[in-house]
Amino acid sequence: MSAGLLILIKFTLLSGIVLMYVALGGCFSEHSGVINIALEGVMVIGALFGILTLCTLPKNLPGFLIVTISILVAMISGMIYSSLLAFASINLKADQTIGGTALNILATAIALVVVKHYNSTISPDAQSPKLNFDNSLFIFNVGPFTLNVFIILGIILLIVSHFVLYKTRFGLHLRACGEHPQAADSVGINVYKMRWAGVLISGALAGIGGMAYIVPSVQDWNFEVGVGGMGFLALAVMIFGKWNPGYIFLGSLFFAVFKSLANIYDSTFLANFHLTKEIYSMMPFIASLIVLMFTSKNSKAPKAEGIPYDKGMR
Amino acid sequence: MKKGIAIASSIVCILVGLLFGLIFLLIINPAESISLGFTPLILAGLSSAFNPDWISAGSNLMKLGQEIANAMPIIMTGLSVAFAFKMGLFNIGAAGQYTLGAFGALYFALILKCPWYVCLLAAAAFGAFWGMLPGLLKAYLNINEVISCIMLNWIGLYGVNTIIYGNGNSKMFNSSQSKAYQVGTVNPDALIPSKIFGLDMFEIFKYRATTIGIFFAIIIAIVILIVLNKTTFGYELKACGFNKDAAKYAGINDKRNIILSMLISGALAGFGAGLFYLSGTVQWNPLDSTALPAAGFDGITVALLGLLNPIGCIFSGLFISHISVGGTMMPQSIFPSEISQIITGLIVYLCAFTPIIQEKLTKFIGAHKKTQQNANKEEK
Amino acid sequence: MADYVIEMLGISKYFPGIKANDNITLQLKRGEIHALLGENGAGKSTLMSILFGLYQPDEGVIKKDGQIVKINNPNDANDLRIGMVHQHFKLVECYSVLDNIILGVEPNVAGILHKQEAREKIMELSKKYGLQIDPDAIVENITVGMQQRVEILKMLYRDNDVLIFDEPTAVLTPQEITELMQIMKKLAAEGKSILFISHKLAEIMTVADRCSVLRKGKYIGTVDIKDTTAEGLSTMMVGRKVNLKLDKKKATPGEIILDVDNLTVSSNSSKKEAVKNVSFNVRRGEIVCIAGIEGNGQAELIQAITGLTKQKSGKIVLCDKDISHESIRYRSEHGMSHIPEDRHKHGLVLDYDLAQNIVLQRYREPEFSKFGFIKFDAVKKYAEKLIKKFDVRCGQGTDTIVRSMSGGNQQKAIIAREIDKNPELLITVQPTRGLDVGAIEYIHKAIIEQRDAGKAVLLVSLELDEVLNLSDRILVMYEGELVGEFKSSDVTTETLGLYMTGAKKDNITKEVTK
Repeated sequence: MSAGLLILIKFTLLSGIVLMYVALGGCFSEHSGVINIALEGVMVIGALFGILTLCTLPKNLPGFLIVTISILVAMISGMIYSSLLAFASINLKADQTIGGTALNILATAIALVVVKHYNSTISPDAQSPKLNFDNSLFIFNVGPFTLNVFIILGIILLIVSHFVLYKTRFGLHLRACGEHPQAADSVGINVYKMRWAGVLISGALAGIGGMAYIVPSVQDWNFEVGVGGMGFLALAVMIFGKWNPGYIFLGSLFFAVFKSLANIYDSTFLANFHLTKEIYSMMPFIASLIVLMFTSKNSKAPKAEGIPYDKGMR
Repeated sequence: MKKGIAIASSIVCILVGLLFGLIFLLIINPAESISLGFTPLILAGLSSAFNPDWISAGSNLMKLGQEIANAMPIIMTGLSVAFAFKMGLFNIGAAGQYTLGAFGALYFALILKCPWYVCLLAAAAFGAFWGMLPGLLKAYLNINEVISCIMLNWIGLYGVNTIIYGNGNSKMFNSSQSKAYQVGTVNPDALIPSKIFGLDMFEIFKYRATTIGIFFAIIIAIVILIVLNKTTFGYELKACGFNKDAAKYAGINDKRNIILSMLISGALAGFGAGLFYLSGTVQWNPLDSTALPAAGFDGITVALLGLLNPIGCIFSGLFISHISVGGTMMPQSIFPSEISQIITGLIVYLCAFTPIIQEKLTKFIGAHKKTQQNANKEEK
Repeated sequence: MADYVIEMLGISKYFPGIKANDNITLQLKRGEIHALLGENGAGKSTLMSILFGLYQPDEGVIKKDGQIVKINNPNDANDLRIGMVHQHFKLVECYSVLDNIILGVEPNVAGILHKQEAREKIMELSKKYGLQIDPDAIVENITVGMQQRVEILKMLYRDNDVLIFDEPTAVLTPQEITELMQIMKKLAAEGKSILFISHKLAEIMTVADRCSVLRKGKYIGTVDIKDTTAEGLSTMMVGRKVNLKLDKKKATPGEIILDVDNLTVSSNSSKKEAVKNVSFNVRRGEIVCIAGIEGNGQAELIQAITGLTKQKSGKIVLCDKDISHESIRYRSEHGMSHIPEDRHKHGLVLDYDLAQNIVLQRYREPEFSKFGFIKFDAVKKYAEKLIKKFDVRCGQGTDTIVRSMSGGNQQKAIIAREIDKNPELLITVQPTRGLDVGAIEYIHKAIIEQRDAGKAVLLVSLELDEVLNLSDRILVMYEGELVGEFKSSDVTTETLGLYMTGAKKDNITKEVTK
């Protein structure tokens, strides 16, 4: 039983931290006024380039550098990819939901093309959509727990996020743009710039999140899968967490418990119920629907989110 | 004039999408990018249609048949997305409704051994049920339909796979193939016929999945067009979509319309799945729970590219299917077929700013006309 | 040479299709209160937006202290110490008063906020000018009056010396208005120069030193207030003599058409009750007006009567039929017409054409549809008839997309639709908001015609002039209750003001239904 509890904690931490990264990303984007439904796709892109970097970096580099560089690449590629959303929704005032959906569709396609091409350059006959990598550098043990660098980095970023949003000039400006962009504009805040910043930060966090989802738990990944809806779950976590980093942390752990059930169902007491893996996989999605039912009435969503800002329209 | 510009903007989206596809091909392999990449990609079924080798074998239209077969479901999901859009709802849940529709069709075909038309109706009914849920949530709890649809997509997928697989004991699961049973072998009556009024689609195309389903899709598109533009229901629906407060003021029951339009939208998506899974070649794989059926998301592309017009959806559906088949006709060892998905993804991205493209086109044409007029004046 | 702090010389601004400002000159003296008068659409807001850096002028120059300056954005305006209180406050509702005041000019070290010094400066300013605020209150919880004080403090915190007030009294109670006038005078006495945008003559006469008048984008002239009268200003504003009083016959009320009994309605915005136990009735052939400051429950009351929201308790009777639980459509089909407050939100589907909007409630009637199909020919014919009858100006006839029509014509279309339904009860909320004098006169006449034709009219208006001119009977609403009932012939603005602010309160009892 205690072994069961231990792996429950292990998997909860693993996926909880991923949800936290991505939900924090969503939080920055929405506080600036842009709904980032493309988080799922940004995760895929971040994971793709982060892992590709991990695969291609010379093995004789110091471990610390390999870890840092690949995470940085995941972060930057997430930012670049999310800039497509920023451009469409901020500069061209396109529908944010449609733009985001397009980026989700596009991400999986890009990942497959890139991975297949990469594999075929290594061995000409391989068209596998899988990448193999070595994740040992990211993982370390503390007592009975297996931890990974993403957990440490995540906790740091959580605290930083809270500080930035509520204690700095930048945060005050950012949130003003999501609540009342006309007010922000009238006191000389550049709404477009702040929204770009919000979306880019969300891209960076979701990029790391994509890598954090895959790298610590497995040694190979089939990119046909994308990230299996984690980006969407993160959106639910963000709503559940009332767009506030602290609550988002708690919300991610809550959802991660549900998410972990599918990982541990066959090795714990849950096996006695003889339910399929799919039933457990369904759990976090059902949980988020139920959470939405109870939170939708008095939502704390930024008031101007989803509405393109047009200087001319006041 | 206005319609012309709208269509032109769609064409711009397609051209830019293709251009980026070409760029990807060039990056992957510049030497073969045109001959083995771009040409088969954009010609798709047309290249085989005029290929002497294929003509002599008599199967030259097979790829075109495949395009039609693949177009059926995405025209339907396109109609589904477009219909909900008229009501101001973004039905990103077409994928889940499609999944449920596929389940309905297969269950009635494999377990209840019903004839094809009953199975088709079952597919629509199951899709309608799954579409109704986000409608109910939106109408009564004011939950954003985009979020609830996304969640319901995954719930639907896991749920359907659980039932079809049933830990390997389900009667729908063929463990020797590790897929759901083939409809044609278990219950041939459940296959949609390929003959209608003496016209035999199979004779023409030599592709088994090319059925009379395409005619159903076209007829339904026309019906949807009439409903939207000529009936009081369509009037109400569009009023709600344009301005739901004014609709309420006018005495229109917006809750009822939200539920009803999502239900119809779901039925359309489910019906599309029925058309596809009762055509005889495809089998559901319940062991693959990781990705949602692409037809659901293709529906978004089809709807936007088709300018949310039902007739437009027929053409855009055929085009998206054409490009996808084109993707598979490139040599896969050099060019992954997913290039075509990149193109469709880009097209959706571009469609998100159709209004801006249309505005630019209008300005461009306006300026062009003015210079012409000026030129005419000067001549006089 | 007078000492001008701001000069706007020969300013022109074109928007597609209109000249919003046409060669306008405005000179603001140091330490004066300068009113800018004009109707809706005269170009006041455009001119001020130019001064505040939100728009760039197409022609003309702006001088600050005699120097030509270029104001590209609000930051530039702020650097020139020009500040503005916008008509719709630019406050972030979920922020504290303090955060709103410092937004954009926060004291900080390396980006980290240091609010303490800001707090001290704000409290000092608050004391100096008598602007009472609570720096830690959240803006969405404070009164409109305090929100305005926050806006004023925002300017003072930035050390602005040119203060623009854009229609500042529209949202205030008469008492708050008096207070604001005193504050403005105090600011001017301290050497601040004030631009005061308004279309309310009485306020301008009270507070301003000089007044510049705009009409249809053109500059008409500047006058000293001590040399002019309200009539003189209004003639300048409209370009002709305006009949400030409406001609109308004495009302001859008949039987009761609308009877509201103990109605209680929940608030749209909070958990409180917006309408508490309200009872009144409206008779055939009279115009009854609900007067009051915005947000005292009028909106909720009308929504309950028209069926847009469900009441908590109480009874609504229309022509002897209990309609308390009937649908919006039922009410509409049984003699109720409603000219809504917000024509863009409720009254029209802007992306439908005019014909489709004309039948917005009636498309289901057998006249316009058969077997669920709309008879577009009949709809078109009917719309053409109304366009003619009510003189609705529209570019492409019945096919005109309503979004492209002017506000006045949009409102005319709604009025045509609602009146031609031939209702027993006409409910009309703020029917002239945002319209020019011509349209206002037309609409007032149409409403009086309806009364004379024997309809019952229920009017909600925030403009006291309109209330007094149009109605026969006035009910004052304060915090969800009816606190006073008057004949419009024997009540003054001042009395109404006292009731509207809750300073006075009567016990209203509805006359017993016979």
